Amino acid sequence: MSDSDDKIERLLRSAALAGEDIPAAPPFGFETRLVALWRSGPGKPNGMANLLRRVALLSAAVTLITAVAAFREVRQSREVGESFSNEFAIADSAIQSEFGR
Amino acid sequence: MDDPDASALVKAALQHDDEAARELVRQLYPLVAKLVRAYRFRRTPEEDLSQMIFIKVFQKLSQFSGKVPLEHWVSRIAVNTCLNQIQSEKVRPELRQADLSEEEQAVVENLAVSSEELAPDKRFASRQLVEHLLAALKPAERLVIDLLYLQGLSVAEIKKMTGWSEPLVKVRAFRARNKMKQQLAKISSKEQL
Repeated sequence: MSDSDDKIERLLRSAALAGEDIPAAPPFGFETRLVALWRSGPGKPNGMANLLRRVALLSAAVTLITAVAAFREVRQSREVGESFSNEFAIADSAIQSEFGR
Repeated sequence: MDDPDASALVKAALQHDDEAARELVRQLYPLVAKLVRAYRFRRTPEEDLSQMIFIKVFQKLSQFSGKVPLEHWVSRIAVNTCLNQIQSEKVRPELRQADLSEEEQAVVENLAVSSEELAPDKRFASRQLVEHLLAALKPAERLVIDLLYLQGLSVAEIKKMTGWSEPLVKVRAFRARNKMKQQLAKISSKEQL
């Protein structure tokens, strides 16, 4: 064992013998406060938390419905746009062939 | 705490028996307090930490299967809660000689000049000196030194309490001891100048 090992060993042994005042019992009222906190904890949400949760769920549902509706609207208008562009193409080629003659 | 007792208390607490829940707190408090103390928190009061740990214990109580002793299950929750909480506390910079009291400096001198065990009247000062040395270690290293050397637990016991593997316990203890040795050597050399 090196000298520094020996020193730290002796120091730690002496420190261990000094002991420590670890409390054997919880502070007054600690366990009662703790059990009350546990019983009123996240398992049983209060009225406000419940209301907020419902509002969040409702707004998520509304957002989802609006997104689906907007998506369908965009798809429909794209189909209409495509049919218009087809008609324009037909008219354009008819004009071109007319001029060609 | 006997396992049948612990299981009965856990079962009763889960069935809304508040007295059983309070009894669990009373029986487990010394263990939790010891672990919290081992981390040497500077900013968070020990009572707040103990409360935080017990709340987690109760929230997870329905997950306690009884396969491991309740004390080990609780101490793992305590160890993890403390490690998460202490991340925000920075490690203290290295120890300076000016940080030591006269009694602690006498211990350093005594260690340097004699190879005898320290006298009983030096125990308190040596404890204080160890506290100073521990402050410069990482939280997990502090815990392992406290459990292994100050509380006198075995590596196997620390493994059960922390959930760390035996090699990890040994490596952490080895590194922590080396850091403490270096700090002590620095102070000793300044002391002798």
